[in-house]
Amino acid sequence: MDPLTSMAASGLRSNLESLDLIANNLANVQTTGFKNDSEFYSLYAASEAEGPGGSDPAQMPVIETNWTDYSQGDLHQTGIPTDLAISGAGFFTVAGPSGRLYTRNGTFQFTPAGRLVTSDGYPLQGSDGKPIQLDPARALTVTPEGELLQDGAVVGKLQTVTFKKMSDLSKQGTSLLRFNGPDDAVGPAAGLVLQGRLESSNVDVAGSSVRMINVLRQFEMLQKSILIGVDMNTAAIQQVAKSGA
Amino acid sequence: MIRALYSAASGMTAEQTNVDNIANNLANASTTAFKARRTQFQDLMYQTIMQPGAQAGSQTVVPAGLQIGLGTRPASNEIIFTQGSFTQTDNPLDLAIQGNGFFQVLQPNGVLAYTRAGTFQLDLNGNVVTAAGDPVQPQITIPPQALSVTIALDGTVSYTQQGTSAAQTAGQIELANFQNPAGLNAMGSNLYSPTDASGQPTVAKPGGPEGLGTLLQGYTEQSNVSVVTEFINLIESQRAYEANSKVVTTADQMYQDVNNLKT
Repeated sequence: MDPLTSMAASGLRSNLESLDLIANNLANVQTTGFKNDSEFYSLYAASEAEGPGGSDPAQMPVIETNWTDYSQGDLHQTGIPTDLAISGAGFFTVAGPSGRLYTRNGTFQFTPAGRLVTSDGYPLQGSDGKPIQLDPARALTVTPEGELLQDGAVVGKLQTVTFKKMSDLSKQGTSLLRFNGPDDAVGPAAGLVLQGRLESSNVDVAGSSVRMINVLRQFEMLQKSILIGVDMNTAAIQQVAKSGA
Repeated sequence: MIRALYSAASGMTAEQTNVDNIANNLANASTTAFKARRTQFQDLMYQTIMQPGAQAGSQTVVPAGLQIGLGTRPASNEIIFTQGSFTQTDNPLDLAIQGNGFFQVLQPNGVLAYTRAGTFQLDLNGNVVTAAGDPVQPQITIPPQALSVTIALDGTVSYTQQGTSAAQTAGQIELANFQNPAGLNAMGSNLYSPTDASGQPTVAKPGGPEGLGTLLQGYTEQSNVSVVTEFINLIESQRAYEANSKVVTTADQMYQDVNNLKT
């Protein structure tokens, strides 16, 4: 392939991946505690993209990685005592099937055994590293510091954590995140726990729509440039062949 | 390959479920003791396109991976058991529960069901039954010669008879509650049945230390559906549906451009 076509093809592929990310963001516009994903473009320099003469390697656009925008989503009131939201930095810790998982989705429920669980049934962890154990028959109050009160007595404390490097978090689906960094990079969270509230998704619908138009138009431009490249190649082959005859 | 299309489709399906749920809530805005449901969404699994640390070329190494999510799904629509407001009816057999409990009623198949709709009536034998004819448990019978029926806060049912001044006790209504009422199975007709998620019922007398609430005679509990909230949810859901449908048209156009590469 000539450099023009290979560059444009790389751009086309990246734009398709951009659209995939936007599609997932917009699909999760109503998911509690969802955080928007964005792509991170970079240039890919390689021998197969070398320019004429092999001196100046052409650079191709690729999506190198995605980054997640962990900014605060809007908090809306639900009035349900087991709905919790974090205002500020921090994540709830839940005991997943293979180790600790983290979430900003605070729609918890009581089990008959008195544990607070996510909608998938994973128990919420306390600051002592054990699952939270409560009496579901009694009213629950959660203080902004994450202390759980029943009948005025402290019966537990939520483990809310924050991370030194947010890029070490990876999404697991079902509103859960896994931390791939070292254990000492996990610290206590400064955010406040609010009871009876949930955090909305932080996807910006208007911004995503604009980005989507941008992706579409860029995609069309690249498609046109491939067609121009094809025309140039066709012309070159036919003209050169003619003059040689 | 066509991830964007399916992600958008999952968003549209999820919003449809949400609208179905909102429609049912609004349809039951005047159902006695109806409890609204709330749809919760979750993101689906993520596809790893590029592994972190992979070789991106002779000069570059990928520092962090590329993960693309594959859309959303409705995870649950739990029942919101907040107290509804009360309507005065003056019907002596209309009962509202001020608190968390449920009435126990015996279905025709002999299995207990639970309800908060306290619009009771008498059947031809004088038994207190629901609008569907299911008797309240423990069974309470009021003889035809009773003049007036009084139901106390603690569920004691008493009646007066012609010629006697003292009230006769017919029985005491008991309430049941669950560790996790949001996990109850709704059977329709205002009835709920227990599941493993809700736990087994604890039965107690109203007004007791178990905190199951007290009874209010001559009142019914209204639906706890907030029409304003439901309309806001409906608007949000419709806009989210539109945004996802725009992704479908954009993806369609881009794939059409791909097809036009080969002229």
